[in-house]
Amino acid sequence: MEDNKKLLAIRLLTWFCPSKLLESIEGDLIEAYEDDLRRVGEATAKRRLLFNVIKFLRPGILLRHHFSFQLMQYAMLKSYWIIAIRNINKSKVFSTINILGLGIAIAAVLLIVQFVMFELSYDKFHTNFDRTYRITNDRFQNGQLIQHGTITYPTIGPTMAKDFPEIEMYTRLMPSGELNVKIGENIFQGEEAMFADEHFMSVFSFPMLAGDRVKALKEKYSLLITRKTAMRYFNVKDENFDAVVGKTVYWGLDTQPYTVTGVCDDIPENSHLQFNALVSYASLISPDDHGADDSWTWSDMRHYLVLAPGTDPKTLEAKFDDFSERYFKGDKVSGSIEKFYLQPLKEAHLYSNYEYDIAKTANGKAVWAMLIVAVFILIIAGINYINLTTSRALERAKEVGLRKVMGAVKSQLVRQFIFESVLVSLLAFIVAIILTQIVQHPFNQIIGGNLSWWVVLSQIEMKVKLLMLGTAAAAIIVSGFYPAFVLSSHQPITVLKGKFRHTTKGNVLQKGLVIFQFMSAAVLITGTIMVSQQIKFMNNSDLGININNTIIVESPERTSWDSTFIQRVESFKNELQTIDNVKSAATSNNIPGARLGRTFNVHLSDASSGPKYTMSFLGIDHSFVQTFDLKVVAGRGFETTDHHADFDQLQNAMVNVGATRLLGMKSPDEIIGRHVNFWGKNWTVVGVIPDYHQQGLKNAMEPMIFFPAYSTYYPTSIKIGSGDSKATLAQIEATFKKFFPDNVFQYSYLEDRYKSQYKDDNRFGQIVSIFTILAIIISCLGLIGLSSYTAIQRTKEIGIRKVLGASVMNVVSLLSIDFMKLILIATILSLPISYFVLERWLDGYAYKIRMEWLLFLLPVVLIVVIAALTMSFQIIKTALTKPADTLKYE
Amino acid sequence: MSKEYLGEFEELVLTIVGILNDDAYGNAIVNEIKERMDRDCNLSAVHVTLYRLEDKGLIKSKMGGATNARGGRRKRIFTITNAGMAMLKTMKDSRMELWKLIPQLKFIGM
Repeated sequence: MEDNKKLLAIRLLTWFCPSKLLESIEGDLIEAYEDDLRRVGEATAKRRLLFNVIKFLRPGILLRHHFSFQLMQYAMLKSYWIIAIRNINKSKVFSTINILGLGIAIAAVLLIVQFVMFELSYDKFHTNFDRTYRITNDRFQNGQLIQHGTITYPTIGPTMAKDFPEIEMYTRLMPSGELNVKIGENIFQGEEAMFADEHFMSVFSFPMLAGDRVKALKEKYSLLITRKTAMRYFNVKDENFDAVVGKTVYWGLDTQPYTVTGVCDDIPENSHLQFNALVSYASLISPDDHGADDSWTWSDMRHYLVLAPGTDPKTLEAKFDDFSERYFKGDKVSGSIEKFYLQPLKEAHLYSNYEYDIAKTANGKAVWAMLIVAVFILIIAGINYINLTTSRALERAKEVGLRKVMGAVKSQLVRQFIFESVLVSLLAFIVAIILTQIVQHPFNQIIGGNLSWWVVLSQIEMKVKLLMLGTAAAAIIVSGFYPAFVLSSHQPITVLKGKFRHTTKGNVLQKGLVIFQFMSAAVLITGTIMVSQQIKFMNNSDLGININNTIIVESPERTSWDSTFIQRVESFKNELQTIDNVKSAATSNNIPGARLGRTFNVHLSDASSGPKYTMSFLGIDHSFVQTFDLKVVAGRGFETTDHHADFDQLQNAMVNVGATRLLGMKSPDEIIGRHVNFWGKNWTVVGVIPDYHQQGLKNAMEPMIFFPAYSTYYPTSIKIGSGDSKATLAQIEATFKKFFPDNVFQYSYLEDRYKSQYKDDNRFGQIVSIFTILAIIISCLGLIGLSSYTAIQRTKEIGIRKVLGASVMNVVSLLSIDFMKLILIATILSLPISYFVLERWLDGYAYKIRMEWLLFLLPVVLIVVIAALTMSFQIIKTALTKPADTLKYE
Repeated sequence: MSKEYLGEFEELVLTIVGILNDDAYGNAIVNEIKERMDRDCNLSAVHVTLYRLEDKGLIKSKMGGATNARGGRRKRIFTITNAGMAMLKTMKDSRMELWKLIPQLKFIGM
């Protein structure tokens, strides 16, 4: 019976039955079916047949696949292998483009995924990860948000723990800056430390190497150090960290020794908290100064809570408004309205935009965007691969036709082409792994981490690993399938006759792809230009303050504070100025580029019932204004007589223009001689300086107040000339050592430190340019594939056109005009997207470049030129082909 | 031989292959069993058993010639091997030995 083959049941059988057994089983089934057909009619016969076939789905049949399968595949695999290698060898340029293109894309994806995985792995190693929350604190004054921070008052933790039973544990911490300790005769400086209370190690599960997790931070003057710090301080041998416990160190000038009570392992890179040592929080609290424990106005503490299992953080958060009202009574207590929120630990690294944050943060949106980009790269590379491979369909059409004539069935051809895809993908994968290894180091430098696949693989869960493996396998197979089916579907008769059919559907897909690729490339190019322009703008803008040629010498912390200290600093500064190349020197409690502290209760003394304002404050000496080339716009600068060793005796202050405006002055002069109240006392304003960029151009200039102070914790800013900086530095060091023996001399260049504020922007810029280059490469590969496809398709048409008198130029324009149209569409589409995206991006900067039309035009020109160059090779080659060569077979 | 064990159905199929001689293939065996034993058995069960017997070396198979029936599919013809024959004989003998051991008294009453 002719239609036996079309019976569903038989088709089902061929699908699972071992081919060796197939024929006889099929025969028996058909025989039985034909019998049934005569005896019981078609419907029953069919049903019985299907039933019979299903009964063959049994181990006794299925397991017989094994042997025959291998034998058959082995011979075929060998043949596939030979054909694949021949094909790769046959067109080396094409194969190289294909493999490299795919390899580059996979490498990019690998790097991105690695980066994203790492960024998402932050803090997950803590046992209480899911239940840990950070308290954040927003403050409002005169209806306006004045601070959005992670810092809050030391009373918040204990009070909340008392009021809300949902809180299982809380911990308080406060950064203490760099440790500066003396052990025996050695001085060590540079370990970042924090004050942390006894619960810290219970809330967080950093592994302990020695000491007791619960008790280590309980007592006053206890010190918990990391492995690295222990090694540095005590030169621990053979991992014997227990030997360190009980040792004492002297911190700064404190005569009280600090005892090492514990050692923990080094803090992993994927922890949002980074420190080298912890000092017990109790050390902050002394009988005459217990503000660190019970102040409702001192807000330098960071709080973390562990909620009881099953607690809904939103429900708890909703109770914080009452809490705030209960203890802060509006703005009566702290000068501002306090709002408290819970931030889950899992968001601390990626979703924090807080002021005074100690967390190591990154932009979560950017991280997800990277992942999306990775997926896009993979898709584009896959489609590119499909395009490039199908563009060779014509070359291989004859091969396919001939194979079919010789008896190859479609499934064999499909398998052959898929085999080739898999082989190419594997080669690309090898290329990708090699590339990843090569660029890992530079990549790490850009992202500022220390990543490697080994680290990432060891940290991610099995589930994710399987997912990644599955995605890779699926990508390879899917990108292999389409060309495999296109290539294997050629009908031998038409192919061998020399006629090809082409679907317009494929063309739409390809055109869409070209538009999409070049649109992305154009957006990225615009982005690169814009980002680099913005960075250039920030680096070159007039800051209102001269930070060039300025050396910062860290403070002489190990010097005791007494009434003679001011004189000592003045003598130090005077002696510095005797150095030829030194122009001026000043001390201040912070340097330009650093975020300043804020005070919340500023008001004019004669308007104490009026609104309160928030201002940043900076302690400076009388040479500060001159050293940084600031101009006094009203009144006078500080003089030596304004200074006093006793802080309570200080009376005079200066402000910047922004502060006078905030206080309601029409011109800066008005404020001279007026009294301003902050920190609970009245200050006379003696001078006004213009606003300058204390922080980089990302931040708006804030109203500032300056007070005339000295401290052993103030760094010195030294303005030098253009002379030999090495010799100057040596002289500065000698002078520093002379005045402040027993202190570590550490220096840096202010300009570098100031510019380090733009580190993230630079990083972003670099990443964007890498993607831009990638996008261009990938788009061009796609274009090469497509243009050669069209060119080959139109070989005969071109031959005929040339015979009829078309010039090379005519042909080139004929072939390129279609693509140029696509690319123009792409660039036009890119304009609104670029504008929209970049406008959002620029919003993050208080001071920014203007978006000029030239910035948008440049990428368009660039794209058109690159595309034209890419296509020109193939097109000119086609245009130059002699018609005799292409038409001789007609 | 003692190591090899034949199931009841295996023994039946093996015997039928021996009976059908040069005409033993899947459907024929099913029909033969139906005819002689009045027992319905499934084609797939017969096939599986045949392959198992072939693995044990009790029968061997070859493809028959092409015909126009059966949608042009050839038959797989099974023939019993000497080992298969010996197996059948051993089994028959051991059955007979056992048979003889059954007390014959019951027959008296019949």
